[in-house]
Amino acid sequence: MNIYTLARYPFLNEARDFVRKENVSTGEILHDPLYGRARETGIQRVNDALEKGVVGDYTTVDETDAMINIFSYPVARMITGSIGSDYLRGRYALAEAKRAYLNLKNEEDDFVAEVSKELGMDVDDELKIYFTDYLKNAPTWSEKWKLSNMPLRNGMVRLKKVELARLLQEILRKRIYNELLLLRPPPEVKRVFGEEITRITNILQRKEMEGKVEMGKASVSKFPPCMRQLLAAAQSGINIPHVGRFALVTFLHSAGMDTDEILRIFSKSPDYDEERTRYQIEHITGKISGTEYNAPGCSSIKTWGLCPVEKMDDVCRRVSHPLSYYRYKWRKKK
Amino acid sequence: MSDFLRNRFRSYYISPEISFPERFPRREYAFIFFGGKQMVRHVAFKKREDILTMMRRRVPMHTYYSSAYYEKPDAPTMSEKGWMGADLIFDLDADHLPGAEKMSYEGMLREVKNELKKLLSFLMDDFGFGEENLSIYFSGGRGYHCHVNHPKVRGLGSQERREIVDYITGRGLDKQSIFRERVVETRNYGDRVVPVKRLEMPGTEEAGWRGRISRTIVDIIKEIREDRERGVERLKEYGLSVSKAERIIDGLSDARVKRIEEGLLDQSSDIRGFFLRSAIEKSAVSLSTGKPDEPVTADIKRLIRLPGSLHGKTGLVVQSIKMDELDGFDPLRDAVVFGDTSVKLNVLKTVKIRMMGEDFSLHPGETEVPEYLAVFMVARGMATV
Repeated sequence: MNIYTLARYPFLNEARDFVRKENVSTGEILHDPLYGRARETGIQRVNDALEKGVVGDYTTVDETDAMINIFSYPVARMITGSIGSDYLRGRYALAEAKRAYLNLKNEEDDFVAEVSKELGMDVDDELKIYFTDYLKNAPTWSEKWKLSNMPLRNGMVRLKKVELARLLQEILRKRIYNELLLLRPPPEVKRVFGEEITRITNILQRKEMEGKVEMGKASVSKFPPCMRQLLAAAQSGINIPHVGRFALVTFLHSAGMDTDEILRIFSKSPDYDEERTRYQIEHITGKISGTEYNAPGCSSIKTWGLCPVEKMDDVCRRVSHPLSYYRYKWRKKK
Repeated sequence: MSDFLRNRFRSYYISPEISFPERFPRREYAFIFFGGKQMVRHVAFKKREDILTMMRRRVPMHTYYSSAYYEKPDAPTMSEKGWMGADLIFDLDADHLPGAEKMSYEGMLREVKNELKKLLSFLMDDFGFGEENLSIYFSGGRGYHCHVNHPKVRGLGSQERREIVDYITGRGLDKQSIFRERVVETRNYGDRVVPVKRLEMPGTEEAGWRGRISRTIVDIIKEIREDRERGVERLKEYGLSVSKAERIIDGLSDARVKRIEEGLLDQSSDIRGFFLRSAIEKSAVSLSTGKPDEPVTADIKRLIRLPGSLHGKTGLVVQSIKMDELDGFDPLRDAVVFGDTSVKLNVLKTVKIRMMGEDFSLHPGETEVPEYLAVFMVARGMATV
């Protein structure tokens, strides 16, 4: 792979090897004027992730540019890792993954297949993958991506290049996010990028404040503990499991909130994607699916591990459905 | 009453033929005992001998194990159990068939077996599982279970399992995109070239649902053309009026059928819609997938009957069935474990039944029957001893 390719895919092993072979110490990357531009581009990556949701395709006119881009990737990871915000980790991982998708879909089939194998997903010459790999990484919440609509034979799903690239985006997002969780950047990163880190932290705090949106008709103080907990998680950008989203959306819908109001709550989630979230909400609330799902009862909530047993109160013990809790509290007030 | 059953069950459990699940000590076991209303859950055993000893001593009416395996299978809550993975299990039961309440026991089982065959076709052709990955069991009640054991499916979460269920039941199919317009020829009108478009069906060899739908449409057409009268009857079963059914059949000229087989479906849109709907209906499997308000419970932690244990409401055994023996499998012969010692019985209602190859016609009152029939009748609440 040439250096320009590596600059486009700095997460590949070969790009890591490249950095290693250059034999540059972390100290040099952080302090040496030679890597000044790499540090700047590193900051740029984090900024773009935060502001635009996708990192840029930074200019690579010559080999020096390419090298700077390759080095800017570990810099950006160190900055993100130092800030220690889960929202930022999720946001940054997604932004890198999206850029990779935008680039990959324009590559040759062979190359995309090669990247797929390196990321641990086996793919054959006809771009077929095993269906469990498909299910783990495809956005099956959308009808177009449902397994029912895919050419499945002998356990293999045949994909178009752009589809494979989309799956790789998801694999990459998870991988980068998990790597960031384990990353322990040296303490001096905080000193070198002190100003930038403070600025980003401020932005993150502001986003969190905005997250505490007006709840419309619903009254949070009357929510049962399980829903309060899910809501708090959604508003602070903590990723909620699928069943949790389902429980929360059906509950909020029954409590009288409309799609836009519910959407605002989820807009703070690190992997927020308005189109996808709107689709999910409208599917669950019956606007597009024709089936209006009911909010799950306490037994389901418990089975899914969403009931915060230690926070249960007297009203909880009296009811068997989160909505009964909510209605009980309303009646109490009157 | 339950003393008789319990004693019979006890005699079976002296040397039962149980097939234990893989990762035996990591499973949760559950029981319902005679006279007990509640299920006893969250039980775990270190050794196979331990569960056998327990079953001999307490003689359960129903015995279950978890499809999932856990770090601590006997912990009381899911979060404490520590989920490690689960087999993929399909539960086909007469309860979920339309019109089941009107069928005889034998009729219900025949219908469910049909669903099972469709399921196997999906699992083997589309999902690529081999016979070595699939185990089929008669449930002991009114259905069949199919267990998929494959290292790649054990770690799938409920959302991913739901996708598999949706595939097999044909849910979420994008019906609009099944038939596509194709330009079959161009005609010249003076200096204008006008394309002639036809609606094209997917090729019968295409992968996934697309090919399946086309193959089924071809099947349906063959089926209704064989005999005009029976064809009309079949179409009525698919929900059409007689006049419409006749119109469809009369419209199926040889030339037209040939065009359909070549993939061109140039019928009017309501007839196309009819073929699409009935092909999906005919191919999809009716599964017990849980209530519709639980879209995410493609269960990763359900309880299933232990193969080789007895079903307390029939006295039949949860019986493993080899793939090539499925056609000939008769639950009222092949899932019977009791002998033919004569037992005095008080029959409560008139029953006609074929069991162990013998026809019985029983009327209310005292009578003597073989033990196997007595167990079945008492378990089903149709007689007392």
